[in-house]
Amino acid sequence: MTDLILLLPELVLVGMALALILLARHVQRARSAAIGVILAALAAIYSGWAFSGKGPTMGFGGTIAGDGYAQFFHVLFAAILALAALLSVRHLDAERVPPAEYYALLLLASTGMMLAASAVDLLILYLGLELMTLCSYILVGITRDKSISNEAAIKYFLLASFASALLLYGITLVYGVTGATEFAAIAAAVSEPSLGRHPLLLVGVALVAVGLAFKIAAVPFHAWAPDAYQGASAPVAAFLAAGSKAAGLATLGRVCLAAFAPEQRIWSDILVGLAILSMAVGSLLALSQSNMKRLLAYSSIAHAGYALLGLIPRTPEGASATMTYAFIYAFMTLGAFGVVIGLGERGEDLAGYHGLAATSPRTAALMFLFLLSLTGIPPTAGFAAKFGVILSAVRAGYVGLAVLAVLCSVVSAFFYLRVAVLMYMTEPQGSAPAHFPVAVSAALAVAAFVTIIGGIFPGILAGWTVPP
Amino acid sequence: MSEYIGIVIFFILAGAVAGALVLLASVLGSKKPSPVKSEPFECGKVPFALPVGRLAIKFYLTAILFILFDVELVFLYPWAVVYRSLGAWGLAEMAIFLGILMAGFFYAWDNGALDWE
Repeated sequence: MTDLILLLPELVLVGMALALILLARHVQRARSAAIGVILAALAAIYSGWAFSGKGPTMGFGGTIAGDGYAQFFHVLFAAILALAALLSVRHLDAERVPPAEYYALLLLASTGMMLAASAVDLLILYLGLELMTLCSYILVGITRDKSISNEAAIKYFLLASFASALLLYGITLVYGVTGATEFAAIAAAVSEPSLGRHPLLLVGVALVAVGLAFKIAAVPFHAWAPDAYQGASAPVAAFLAAGSKAAGLATLGRVCLAAFAPEQRIWSDILVGLAILSMAVGSLLALSQSNMKRLLAYSSIAHAGYALLGLIPRTPEGASATMTYAFIYAFMTLGAFGVVIGLGERGEDLAGYHGLAATSPRTAALMFLFLLSLTGIPPTAGFAAKFGVILSAVRAGYVGLAVLAVLCSVVSAFFYLRVAVLMYMTEPQGSAPAHFPVAVSAALAVAAFVTIIGGIFPGILAGWTVPP
Repeated sequence: MSEYIGIVIFFILAGAVAGALVLLASVLGSKKPSPVKSEPFECGKVPFALPVGRLAIKFYLTAILFILFDVELVFLYPWAVVYRSLGAWGLAEMAIFLGILMAGFFYAWDNGALDWE
């Protein structure tokens, strides 16, 4: 029963989700449900904090770890949940989405992410990711009366369920060769020369990598992201961009360092390929986008590539750099999506940003901050995060990869700063909302705070990012 | 490998029995072919036809609720087998599990999934 302490944050979120489901018919306004969700997220952060180190280091038959790595991602996912809940409030009432169901799904998806981050067993990892993805399908299609939303949900469902099947197939092959699903046992078996060279193990490792690469939307497993982000309502897209990517990176990091660390032949090559393709394709395809959500989707694909740079050397320092990247990226992408949400219909299209600085200077300044951070220009947090992962790649001898990352950043500067040019250097068009809703402003303030503080004090996360 | 030999024998026996029955039926049986008999399925339903009319969404809801109880049973049965060795905490765990499951059922009920009209 002491094992339950390890899952306290998850239990808090599940409890709130159950309460929302039971009270679904009585929750008419999004605001009351959002308050409940934010309280649950804060309670989850607190419970993860207060009971850290009090429970066992491993629980549930050695399938759940209570280490600093899990704790870091518990905090991150709870923060993403709280910000997504804030960003959704007005949007839900405007789009006539049932609030209780929406927030319950948001809570359960976050629970799945947390579970996946603390899993040290392939089956629990799969269970967590699947809980996250199942809720995400419904969240993408929750605006039922929009056909673009339905289309996005169907596309996302078909591709993601196929990727889940590949992941599961990889897990069975790894189990078939090593006879284990626990990471420690897999690592022990893989380091034996007789098993380590088994051809089926190669296939299994490759399939697991493919299944996880799909979750972070790395090229060539990225095709779902632009359609899903564009079709989903903006808060859902923000939640997917921040949460789904962080969950994918959390699981990739643990699988990479804890399970397949002794696997020498294919794992690094796959990650290098994914990183190169994601950075290049994501940056190049973003150049021609005219829809803001699609632009942010391609940007998220490119950022998946940068984040992978930290995992390629398979060192604890590299994993820490990737954790920092996932953390910072979550806040800056939530911030950029937050501005899109605040601007409403106008914010979805790139043309809506013409002359924004003249009519609403504060909004334009905020957007400029997040765009600078996404590009990776100092003194924003995006620069510190990108510097960390590129440094870890250089230290491991992947200089070519680091050069490519910098080149892709230069390309990406073009499309990020094009939005800034539109905002500051063109004639105003139409009127923007004078004031954002309070909830959106609060979320934007938190995101902007993290983006600035993370840039001024780059080492601020160093004590938290405990590699697995 | 020796522990799988029983399964292999089982497969061979099953194949042999099925094959023998088909063979015997085709050798000994009388043959009166008709168009209906040579259709893929002979269960009274036209196998290839365009769907006519609509199927009420209510059937879908009923099927989903059936799955809810089906899943419940999948976990209840093995739990019942080892119940004695689990003790009081095992009973509490199952009560929590059923409570969560029933929350979903209550949600469906509360939203009118059981009203047929």
